[in-house]
Amino acid sequence: MKKLSVAGISIFLMVMAVLPHFLDSRWQAVAITFVIFSVVALSQDIILGKAGMFNMGQAMFFGMGAYATAILNSHYNWPLLATIPVAILVPVCVGILLAAPIVHLRGDYLLVVTIGFNIVFIQVLVNNLGGVTGGPNGIFGLEYLSIFGHELRSQVAVYYLAFAVLLLTLAIMLNLEKSKVGRALHYLREDPLAAESIGINTKLYKIFAFALGAGIAGLAGMVYATQYSAVSPEGFEFIQSVLFFSIVLVGGSSIPGVLLGVFVMFVLPEIFREFSTWRFFVFGFAMILTMILRPRGIWPATFGKIPKYMIKEKSHGA
Amino acid sequence: MAHNELILTDVTKRFGGLTAVDSLSMKVETGQIYGVIGPNGAGKTTIFNCITGIYRSEEGSVNWNGEEIRGMTPYQIVDRGIVRTFQTIRLFSQMSVAENVVSGRHIKSSQRWWHGICPTVGSRRDEYDNWMKVKELLEFFNLDEFAATPVSSLPYGHQRRVEMARAMAVDPTLLILDEPAAGLNDKETAELVETIFSIRDKGVTVLLIEHDMELVMKVTDYLTVLNFGKKIAEGTPDEIQKNPLVIEAYLGSEDDDE
Ligand SMILES: Nc1ncnc2c1ncn2[C@@H]1O[C@H](COP(=O)(O)OP(=O)(O)O)[C@@H](O)[C@H]1O
Ligand SMILES: [Mg+2]
Repeated sequence: MKKLSVAGISIFLMVMAVLPHFLDSRWQAVAITFVIFSVVALSQDIILGKAGMFNMGQAMFFGMGAYATAILNSHYNWPLLATIPVAILVPVCVGILLAAPIVHLRGDYLLVVTIGFNIVFIQVLVNNLGGVTGGPNGIFGLEYLSIFGHELRSQVAVYYLAFAVLLLTLAIMLNLEKSKVGRALHYLREDPLAAESIGINTKLYKIFAFALGAGIAGLAGMVYATQYSAVSPEGFEFIQSVLFFSIVLVGGSSIPGVLLGVFVMFVLPEIFREFSTWRFFVFGFAMILTMILRPRGIWPATFGKIPKYMIKEKSHGA
Repeated sequence: MAHNELILTDVTKRFGGLTAVDSLSMKVETGQIYGVIGPNGAGKTTIFNCITGIYRSEEGSVNWNGEEIRGMTPYQIVDRGIVRTFQTIRLFSQMSVAENVVSGRHIKSSQRWWHGICPTVGSRRDEYDNWMKVKELLEFFNLDEFAATPVSSLPYGHQRRVEMARAMAVDPTLLILDEPAAGLNDKETAELVETIFSIRDKGVTVLLIEHDMELVMKVTDYLTVLNFGKKIAEGTPDEIQKNPLVIEAYLGSEDDDE
């Protein structure tokens, strides 16, 4: 089973690594979208899947990263790559500030509060607060990526930027599983009282999950702004948050499940273009059916992630 | 302070109009196996919740090792060496036995938050050390063959052992057990007695609530008897068994149960 998933991930990554060379520009754009939205969905998985917090505002953190990049590039002429630290740190700081007073709330209350945050965020963008967000039209005409003064105009460059971000995200997620921080998130999701009683500062780790999820989503936002050379409020609406939320639940909050969810939601409609207006219809039904037939998701996360040397004893005796 | 003493002074905990614990004082000394007994609803679990920070008593003082711990959060109290198990087993039910036990290493682990994002040589070694400690505990509690087994698929008696192993993973100074024999069969109870003795032999003070009188009389050095939140007696098991108040309030009422 473990070997299978290692093989699966390697094949997936190898295919993804060469993919843009086999695609025309329309499909390259689709592939970039798939990668970016996968990163956002995985970042939501840290908050919702791992730590079990009903965050319905992930598109807001995504948007903060995108807007940070767009504002710095268009108003202050920062090169796109130089905006990366800001595109991460702004959502991280906002995430910490917003999460700190609300993480103790029960799931349903947290859900409502984060919806509120997302709506307020969109209003701030639309009303052009501070005069930098460009109002309802957003910001357009960003520069191309450039490294050491070389402009990288091709979509392939954007793809590889997105792919690098995906690899980084996957590495963080796999590493979390093998660290005390990642386990702490699982514990507090399963039983906060037991977690506290065994020595875990649950509030701290909940805030950590929010900060990490927000930072990764912000980084994805930077890539998103780069891909379209533009940002506008509708990309970060509350309905997008709903999609990311649903993808994690329907996928089963495992990495393959989440990737599959993003594929079904954002790539299938492109393949069956004539159905693309139907995608919410189809996805809606898929959600309903999955939750009825497989309440833990299509590809449920598995536990039992303990090092091999812990189970050697058993195979010996068996 | 050389001694790890737990001193409760006039602890009172109310729930609305009900006084669940009424001005209770008791003193648990280093190396003791200390018992708290009393009929159902006497307030035993509530006291444990007041000691471990799950509840904050309205009045009184909970002093541990010279420090006032009343008002601290549960994880701060764990950090000071006090760990507990629950009357209704509270394990992380979707996880394996080993993952449950390693949760007890959380507070002892040297890993910081950024090691969750980027591991270092030091954090890898710490991770290895934690698992080795877990392995040791699984052997001690006779659970090593179940390391990878989902904890919810184990029988009750095993789950109780997992919960104790998890608590012991913290390297506690004071281990608090809330009815550890509840739901165990005779053989498992006999094993539990041995386990409690060997935990004490490791230098851990044990504070336990128990319904099983035979077990209490066998393992404890000293007892406090509660009824309706009030202490009605304290003493060694021999003294308690002879105390007419106890016989009337507790032993008598247990006969009624049966
Ligand atoms: N969280 C709570 N809210 C209200 N009443 C409680 C709560 N916890 C315990 N009680 C009450 O306090 C009394 C003591 O309960 P408890 O400490 O669980 O008793 P024991 O463990 O001795 O059986 C009982 O009357 C119980 O109903
Ligand atoms: Mg009780």
